[in-house]
Amino acid sequence: MTRWLSRWLWLTVLVVTPGAGYPDAGHPQAGAAQVVIIENMQFTPRELQVSRGTRIVWINKDLFPHTVTAAARAFDSGSIAANSSWTYIASKSGTYDYNCTFHSSMKGVIRVK
Amino acid sequence: MNRMTALSVTTLAVALGAAGSSAHAAAGPSDPQIAAIVVTANQVDIDAGKLAKSKAHSKEVGEFAQLMITDHTGVNKSATELVHKLHVTPESNATSDSLKKGGEENLANLKTLSGAAFDKAYVDHEVAYHQAVLDAVDKTLIPNAQNAELKALLVKVRPAFVAHLDHAKHLQSELGK
Repeated sequence: MTRWLSRWLWLTVLVVTPGAGYPDAGHPQAGAAQVVIIENMQFTPRELQVSRGTRIVWINKDLFPHTVTAAARAFDSGSIAANSSWTYIASKSGTYDYNCTFHSSMKGVIRVK
Repeated sequence: MNRMTALSVTTLAVALGAAGSSAHAAAGPSDPQIAAIVVTANQVDIDAGKLAKSKAHSKEVGEFAQLMITDHTGVNKSATELVHKLHVTPESNATSDSLKKGGEENLANLKTLSGAAFDKAYVDHEVAYHQAVLDAVDKTLIPNAQNAELKALLVKVRPAFVAHLDHAKHLQSELGK
């Protein structure tokens, strides 16, 4: 119960609190979320390969909103405000091209194995 | 480009050119002056965007106008927070005053237009405006910014201005077909 509560609290902090509780992009740990930084009008890393069930967190470090929107709307964050994040659990295998619907030059790829 | 748009763009080019010419030839603009130029440049584009959002003929131009409002508001929010943090008071100068005047001329011109003519004039101005602002950012504002955080903010917003310019050029090309 304590373990479940701890994980729930961690997820809540991750998704709801702008600018706080982000996983460390430079030091991924087993089972930890994978992080894509949105900054300077780019997704970094631009391509990310993950296993099914992986949590992916996009952190918007730009000064204005962006979206993470896959082709055919396989996933769609809606507007991610500046200094906020969006989490998606990659549950289905495949290659997903995505972009920001506000700034169409911003593109990324998620490969789920 | 109609006559009024051309005049407005000329005013803009003179305004931004002044930032690196005789007015500041000796020392370049100071940080308080750069802050005023940044805030004014963003506000001018927000104001044009608000008018364009209400008058745009095409859906794509209306969406671009909303993007300009959103993005430049975000930049100005950060710029305002930074100047408060640094205890810098933006200082009006010839460049920021000319930018404001050019923005008012552009709005006055756009208000006389409608339909496809409005879209073309707005987008033409956005292309010229973003190009001129980018030139000023590269040649004058970043090189002269003394405070590291102010310089970092200018560097951080540059990619957005490039993306806006490309977006505006794409719209210009589509409207010309």
